Amino acid sequence: MLSTKFSPMSKEEVDRKWWEIGDFFRRNSLWMLMYCTGCCAIELPPAMTSAYDMERLGMGPMATPRQADVLLVTGYLSLKTLRRLIYTYEQMSEPKYIVGFGSCTINGGIYHDSHAVINQLNKYIPVDVFVAGCMPNTEAVMNGFVDLMDLIKNKKANGWKDYHERYEWYLANQKAALGEVRVHDEFHE
Amino acid sequence: MTNSMSNTEFVTNLVESKFKVLSTEVLDKYQVSFEVKKEDVHSLLSLLKTSGWIQLSYLSAVDWPNDNEFELVYIVFNWDKAVHIQIRCRLDRETASMNSILPIFPGCKYYEREAHEFFGIKFPGNPDHEKQLILEEWDDIPPLRKDFDPRAYSDRKFSKMEYKNDFVNKNGEVSKQDARTKRYDDIDKLRTGGKK
Repeated sequence: MLSTKFSPMSKEEVDRKWWEIGDFFRRNSLWMLMYCTGCCAIELPPAMTSAYDMERLGMGPMATPRQADVLLVTGYLSLKTLRRLIYTYEQMSEPKYIVGFGSCTINGGIYHDSHAVINQLNKYIPVDVFVAGCMPNTEAVMNGFVDLMDLIKNKKANGWKDYHERYEWYLANQKAALGEVRVHDEFHE
Repeated sequence: MTNSMSNTEFVTNLVESKFKVLSTEVLDKYQVSFEVKKEDVHSLLSLLKTSGWIQLSYLSAVDWPNDNEFELVYIVFNWDKAVHIQIRCRLDRETASMNSILPIFPGCKYYEREAHEFFGIKFPGNPDHEKQLILEEWDDIPPLRKDFDPRAYSDRKFSKMEYKNDFVNKNGEVSKQDARTKRYDDIDKLRTGGKK
């Protein structure tokens, strides 16, 4: 017998509700994986310690990619690091978000003409939030995290879904820059 | 010090008495540079190692495209006498090859790999010298050669941000850039007597 008080919900609606609940908890306890490749990483210590105290936003550092929610790419990425970053990103459990720091991840910054450094990070992996600046202020970094939380709340942090949908495109870009995404070095073989 | 010689004088005497040195340069109190022939490098490094310069501090190369030569620089370091010694030698640029110093300084292994990767110098005697170290899957000439163009490589390989002019001039003013270009054009015209 159907209740008169609650109208039955379709499976999609139930899923949506559960996702909203999940997103509420997720955005208030973001575990971040810091991939400190470049100089923007120096903005993280003041953001994490008592000056700006990231933990009041519910954010904390996490040790392994499989347990983390947010991947922080702090600065330029050489081809060698990009390979490892793709490994790291694909290991993370979904939903997963990426924050790109500094102008290097946006358009190459001062390394735009380097032979070793990629220019646009969002061609290779989906970036949800960019924090502009060279280097960004700590205020800007904190603002970026708050923006990421808003995006999750408004269901706009869909980079990881985009990575599924347009995987061919991302893979083609990765191959154009890297040749082969697989890591071949003496420590892996 | 047991005698009145400074460290740099001691080193200079030691090296110049036993080897034919092409040029000696005392850079400062703590650094001496010797340029020797390619064949002398191994025996000179052995001598220095037995005389106390037990650590290979650095090994790298310099590209001299006008001379069509590479210059290898070995920097050795002594923990008792405060002198860094640079041993320099020139190699032919086309067939750049230098016997490895692996038996003398085993620490050269990774420096030689790096020099091979960035300059294309071969180091027979080092079994790993052709393995990739820093650049992975490199598909161009070695990047620290002077004839390599990093910007062209970057433009070819990595996608760039595209910017478009999406702003409008609401005041209807002539843009300063256009005015400046016009002024320069006018000046050029006057220079040629008003003729185009």
